[in-house]
Amino acid sequence: MTTINREVTPPGDLPENPQRLHNDLHEIWGNPRGLKALTIVNHTTLGLRFMVTGMVFFLIGGLLAMLVRTQLALSDQDFMTPDIYNQVTTMHGTVMMFLFAIPMLEGLAIYMIPKMIGARDLVCPRLTSLGYWCYLFGGIILTFSLVLEMAPNSGWFMYTPLSSSEYSPGLGSDFWLLGITFVEISALSAGVELVVSILRTRTQGMALHKMPLFAWYILAMALMIVVGFPPLILGSILLELERAAGMPFFDVAGGGDPILWQHLFWLFGHPEVYIIFLPAAGIVSTLIPVFAGRPIVGYGWVVFAIVTTGFISFGLWVHHMFTVGIPQLAQAFFSAASMLVAVPTAIQVFVWLATLWLGKPKMKLPMLWILGFLIIFVCGGLTGVMLALVPFNWQVHDTHFVVAHMHYVLVGGMFFPLIAGLYYWLPLFSGRMPSETLGKWGFWLTFIGFNTTFLIMHWTGLLGMPRRVYSYDAGMGWDIFNLISSVGGFIMSAGIAMVLLDFALHFRFGKPAKPNPWNADGLEWANSMPPSAYNFVSLPKIETRHPLWDDPDLPRTIAEGQHSLAVATHGRREMWGTDPLTGKVREIIHLPGNSWWPLFAAMALAVVCISLLTRLYPLAVIAVVVAGLFLLRWSWENGAHPKAAPDARVAPGDPPLHSRTMDGPGLWAMSITMLANGSFFLSYLFGWFYLWTVSPEWRMPEVSPLSLVGLLLAGGALTVGAGILEKMISGLRQQRDAGLSLGMFSISALGFVQVSITLWVLLSADLAVTENSHDAIIMVGLAYALFHGGLGAVLTLLQGLRVGYGYVGAHAPFEPAVVAQLWRYNVATFWIIVGALAVLPRVIGS
Amino acid sequence: MTIVMQRLHLTHPLHFVIGLTLWSAWFVTVYGGHAVACEVMPPDPEQGVFTLVNALLLMVSLAAVALLAALTVGCYRMSKHHAGRLSFNARVSAGLYLFSTFGVLFAAMPIIGIPPCL
Repeated sequence: MTTINREVTPPGDLPENPQRLHNDLHEIWGNPRGLKALTIVNHTTLGLRFMVTGMVFFLIGGLLAMLVRTQLALSDQDFMTPDIYNQVTTMHGTVMMFLFAIPMLEGLAIYMIPKMIGARDLVCPRLTSLGYWCYLFGGIILTFSLVLEMAPNSGWFMYTPLSSSEYSPGLGSDFWLLGITFVEISALSAGVELVVSILRTRTQGMALHKMPLFAWYILAMALMIVVGFPPLILGSILLELERAAGMPFFDVAGGGDPILWQHLFWLFGHPEVYIIFLPAAGIVSTLIPVFAGRPIVGYGWVVFAIVTTGFISFGLWVHHMFTVGIPQLAQAFFSAASMLVAVPTAIQVFVWLATLWLGKPKMKLPMLWILGFLIIFVCGGLTGVMLALVPFNWQVHDTHFVVAHMHYVLVGGMFFPLIAGLYYWLPLFSGRMPSETLGKWGFWLTFIGFNTTFLIMHWTGLLGMPRRVYSYDAGMGWDIFNLISSVGGFIMSAGIAMVLLDFALHFRFGKPAKPNPWNADGLEWANSMPPSAYNFVSLPKIETRHPLWDDPDLPRTIAEGQHSLAVATHGRREMWGTDPLTGKVREIIHLPGNSWWPLFAAMALAVVCISLLTRLYPLAVIAVVVAGLFLLRWSWENGAHPKAAPDARVAPGDPPLHSRTMDGPGLWAMSITMLANGSFFLSYLFGWFYLWTVSPEWRMPEVSPLSLVGLLLAGGALTVGAGILEKMISGLRQQRDAGLSLGMFSISALGFVQVSITLWVLLSADLAVTENSHDAIIMVGLAYALFHGGLGAVLTLLQGLRVGYGYVGAHAPFEPAVVAQLWRYNVATFWIIVGALAVLPRVIGS
Repeated sequence: MTIVMQRLHLTHPLHFVIGLTLWSAWFVTVYGGHAVACEVMPPDPEQGVFTLVNALLLMVSLAAVALLAALTVGCYRMSKHHAGRLSFNARVSAGLYLFSTFGVLFAAMPIIGIPPCL
């Protein structure tokens, strides 16, 4: 395990012993068994875990849906009490949206993306693992509330004041707020690493415009998660603070405003629909060309549509709030924007139809589900345009028409393509083919059952039946429609059961699949079936959008090690780091191996979550510290640490290891994380200015309680620290590391000075955080600055220590550049906080 | 500076997001600006659409349209001067700028027909 990279084997020249190469790679990448299986960080295994867990939650969500349909099947039913019914409907929506749709699609992306772009793993494997454990623990905590009959019951959007402590005094809302925030750590983790993996780890030659369309869709989805989820995280934190500590962010009497919750929720909630739709559309754009036997018509048009959808979807959130009393002109802006989003969606539909029209479609099982998608989704899209019209929206607001529309979009737009994709990639997962007979029965029962349920529900809604009522009188004229919907629901369940049965049985009874069974063009089919832990024995140069159509021999040459990085004797997990635009090789990325730290960190975070739920705050504080220590210990085994890269040498002509450069993927991961952080911060600023401008009982004091001198001193220390850090990095770029350790300790000290002064400003302000929202929101802003300042100081302190250990220096200059990203962010946000909270109120007044 | 200039070149894929970012900035400006204007200086409802608020929102919108239209033309021209990856980038960017221009025009239309703050 000490030799260096061999020269890349010239094409056509077989390595001496391909089997030995497989064995060597397996030794490095292979998964452990038994208890150590909990340490696995490999994307294939974790992607499967995400998907299997997602399907379990789907079954729970589906069961809840059947309970709802049973209750509504007949008028005047008392199958469930109103409170249980509210819990069941709330949890149905919550489980399906947060515990099934997003994690399932993320799981598919985690599984597929490296295989499609010619990489051996995702770029932050331990982050994948942390994400999975957070998802699992958060999901268990949330669903456990059902067992306790304490589930949230305020609707999956948790509108205040219904979800506030006055009207929901139990633990239900807390389960939702804490559980969902926990699960969102998982979504954000996956979002960050998918973005960086797609941009920086595509195989050699795969320029941006040659990238598989599925990767474009996932890139957009991941960026949308990064930007779209933080507003809800902020909202959840504020609402939990209101419920637990009495800070009145959403309470009018205390200077808050319940509509702020709606803004924060839908700032997340509407993009969420497209976060779910885009990957599903990516499946459609991948499958249709394969089954039509020709390249997609208008690759560039699809890229255009993806980017447009991603952006416009953030400009629609107010169309969920047309009835709350927003001025007509503002409603018209959102109405127009809501119609605009139909344009990119229509472009994709026409591209798919044109591809089918010009190709020779084969009606295999996955294509049935694609056709089902096209029919249902187009109908859902059309009712979406109807709902974008303000007068119509007012008419059907909060009726079953909206429920029907939402299910047409979400089930048609996500579930049907998902099943198509699962059937398509099933041979890759298992090496076996599904049953066409069972699959077709499953499809038709699901398709007929779905339309019976939800097409009829449009009528129920137009007849005026409101959402979220547990029962209705016999004389309302809704009986027959509800009965038909319920029968349809059970037919659909039978169809889904058949599909799941097919999936389960095929692992044992399915026919063995031949290589590339659908004659597909994608690189994922160059993997073995089922795939190895390292995906590719050697990494090919790909300069086409259709690698397997242009070179059907690619799977063999890859397996024989005829391409790059066909070596394992150095003991590293490695793959290419490439230029995000051109796909030219920049460096060798070395990845960490299996680790307990993600599991331990997630367990500590679960303790935080449970202790907050049970109001055991001292335990929560201890668990936060423990989680922090686990995460810092995890970060210690990085870069030039012997466990991260046992042998840093590379062969002459090969690029350096990423930890020996100034532009590794960690830098990109930090940038994307700061993007998410920035979205959180902007949402906070939005909240501050919103309450200041709109809240009817907002009380701005005559004199700001914050010491401007103190804040200026703190900001000065922070800015000087950041300046010194920039100077250090500039030196590292020129291979100078004299005084690096001392410099890092000095910068860290400045960070602690900033934290101390900010803490003094906060404590001396004497804020009445439970009495008015002004003081409460100031407290949150300063706490944010304190957390970031403290984190920057601690990470810089660790850098100083790592210099001493020889893990950081001119030979390994990477990590200070990553920490500097945080410092830059801290400087910018701190001064904005000073300006918004301390200077503007002095200038403008109340 | 060299890197910044490279990224601002019309064949750089950063332009995939600049147009719609400008659209988003415009959207937030008119929505937020309208809300703030209604708090600070709500016009008399009798004035109809002939108010300072409408005029300001319209001016901001026209400025956004002009900028986005210029970038559309720039990217389209640039796509003709290149081939392969660079042409692809400029062509897609031109389409996205065009859509953004159309998006501002379409979403701004209510400004000339609906009075503010009602």
